[in-house]
Amino acid sequence: MTTLTPQERQDTLSTPTASTAGYPMKRLAQFYIVTGFIALFVGVMIGPLQALNYADVNLYNLPILRNIIKSYYQGLTLHGVLNALVFTQFFISGWMFYMPMRDLKVTPNMKFAWGTYIAMTLGVLIAAVPLLTNKASVLYTFYPPLQGSPLFYIGAALMVACSLLVGGQVVFEWFKWKRAHPKQITPLITYMSVATWMMWILASLGLVAEALILLIPWSLGLVSGIDPLIARTLFWWTGHPIVYFWLLPAYISWYGFMPRQAGGRLASDPLTRLAFAMFLLVSVPVGLHHQYSDPNISGNMKTIHMLLTFMVAVPSLLTAFSVTASLEDGARQRGGGGLVGWIRYLPWKNASFTAQVLAMISFIFGGAGGIVNASAVLDSVVRNTAWIPGHFHITVGTATTLSFMGIALWFIPHLTGKKLFAPKLALFSVWAWFWGMMIFAVGMHWQGLLGVSRRAQISAMAQNIYDNAHVPQVITGISGVVLLVASLAFFTTLFGTLLSKTVSDGEDVKIPWSEAISTHEDSKMARRLEALPALWLAAFVLVGLTYGPVLIPMILGRNLVPGYTNLW
Amino acid sequence: MLDHDKLQNAENIWLGVAVVMCVLLFTGVVASFLSGTFPLVSGGHASGIASTRVDPKNLAVTPFAKPGLRQEGTENELFMVAKVFSFDPAFVRVPAGVSINMHITSADVMHGFYIQGSNINLQIVPGQVTTLRYTFKYPGTYNVICNEYCGIGHHNMVTRFVVTPPTK
Repeated sequence: MTTLTPQERQDTLSTPTASTAGYPMKRLAQFYIVTGFIALFVGVMIGPLQALNYADVNLYNLPILRNIIKSYYQGLTLHGVLNALVFTQFFISGWMFYMPMRDLKVTPNMKFAWGTYIAMTLGVLIAAVPLLTNKASVLYTFYPPLQGSPLFYIGAALMVACSLLVGGQVVFEWFKWKRAHPKQITPLITYMSVATWMMWILASLGLVAEALILLIPWSLGLVSGIDPLIARTLFWWTGHPIVYFWLLPAYISWYGFMPRQAGGRLASDPLTRLAFAMFLLVSVPVGLHHQYSDPNISGNMKTIHMLLTFMVAVPSLLTAFSVTASLEDGARQRGGGGLVGWIRYLPWKNASFTAQVLAMISFIFGGAGGIVNASAVLDSVVRNTAWIPGHFHITVGTATTLSFMGIALWFIPHLTGKKLFAPKLALFSVWAWFWGMMIFAVGMHWQGLLGVSRRAQISAMAQNIYDNAHVPQVITGISGVVLLVASLAFFTTLFGTLLSKTVSDGEDVKIPWSEAISTHEDSKMARRLEALPALWLAAFVLVGLTYGPVLIPMILGRNLVPGYTNLW
Repeated sequence: MLDHDKLQNAENIWLGVAVVMCVLLFTGVVASFLSGTFPLVSGGHASGIASTRVDPKNLAVTPFAKPGLRQEGTENELFMVAKVFSFDPAFVRVPAGVSINMHITSADVMHGFYIQGSNINLQIVPGQVTTLRYTFKYPGTYNVICNEYCGIGHHNMVTRFVVTPPTK
């Protein structure tokens, strides 16, 4: 068995096969990434309005705004759908498609790949019509019996279904590669990508079933009612593991590329595989921890889902160890020393690197808060309060989004052959994003503990019941302004780069493939963990065991109720 | 430079610590169920979530026809209906120190039922009844907030519980 060092890998990639300048995946990945960032741009521009609402400042009454966005809830729906669903999925479909293909040195069927991109974009455009015309202001959880326009459900379902085609193509190419290289261990980046796609394909089934069986026929008027509890349960089947679908692509960069960016090596290749195998196994059967307070769901099943949720913390804790070790390795190679003194020797002037380290730091707090939410006892205090948006803005909003922003700072120049515009502004923007989100998190967690509700236009309340929350409200308001500045700075860099001239084929911006201190050579664990299809099957069985006893009684005792289309 | 053996050793210790931490967390929550701080498993406020279903269009034939607090035998039963954008009854007076069975349902869409500053925080689903048993310990006025998005007037869906001193 031969293993190439990253440099040799680079060199083999310089031969014309499936690589370099003419690599057709480049343009496709660029389209996915840029479409994602356009969605993020629109989404984050609405964000400060939400933050100011939680500072008791209501800008939604401004006539100039009212002509565009009818209500706080329409703005919130757009903000959530564009940032959390559209941006993430498009970025991931570019990133976690390009990287494994390049890692395996293969070119997938490009006609199929472009067809998927076009259909996914069409899905967004279809869903955009009701979203922009206030016909689907049902927030990104769209709990029935609130009933949006059928176009919203059809567009969203098409978009999500296309992500399965991307994932399917990656898994298919990996199977082909395995058949051609039966004795070899899958390269690490591909391993992480395939495990994540397999997890997502299983995870998405809940949402796919909710959309195809329940929401679309009901919104088209083909059936008269819907069972809101079944719909909500299917939603959370997908709704929780989707956060791992957002997080793991960032982990791929933290494990696979950041060590090289820091000048060091990945701590352990086999342990990285173990973490991803664990995610594949236990990411999905955890959704009931969003439904601790729902009636008519067995308490024992809720407790089992809670245990499994705690178990998903283990691979994340492994990641914290491993990634920090590789950064330390890099810093020591760059001349750093001491117990913590090495931290100063990290490449802090590199905005791409810094963004991702800050994303990691935010996730220490985000992950800890997540464990609070997962615990049934503490969840009852923070459930549906402002604590929750506080939590997910330092997880998906920072750990994921700031990592993706950081990745884009080298990935877009690599894909397009354009030079990064205003690198110093980029560095400023990622620090500002980090601090903005940290301040936001303080304000929102604090408001949540005082009982302030999430998703409520508290700046327009008829009665004043949050008199005790003025301090955290001010903090939240400040964060909105900081984040607006951060976003404008970041998108100046991003669009500045895209609008600049192409100066090369992009290959001068090398992919930072990392070496490992402990490699997968002679690793029994790495060899055993090659059995991804078996792990995938085990994950299906586990989901059957943990969701069967929940869904079957619900379906047998279903109770259909009519929909409501005119409440917003 | 870090070397392989040293790292692997530290990794294994860390993996052990991570697993122990997660097990302890789980044990802690289960201990809380058993001790009654949040009694999900044996008795108490979350255990009584009953498997009751109703037709939200025909609440008139259910106990929800006349929402409010009433005594049935030795039990205090409180029936409440959440609907856009208010609770019925709009105002509830309950005595402290008395165990109350609360039954809440929705006449239309999803709602929340959250007693500000407490851990009574429930999902109200049309067609289903959310039931819990609770004893208010301290007299006072409590805001009860709908904390599940239900439409344009969602933020104004607030009611009050007035807990009166126990009658001795």
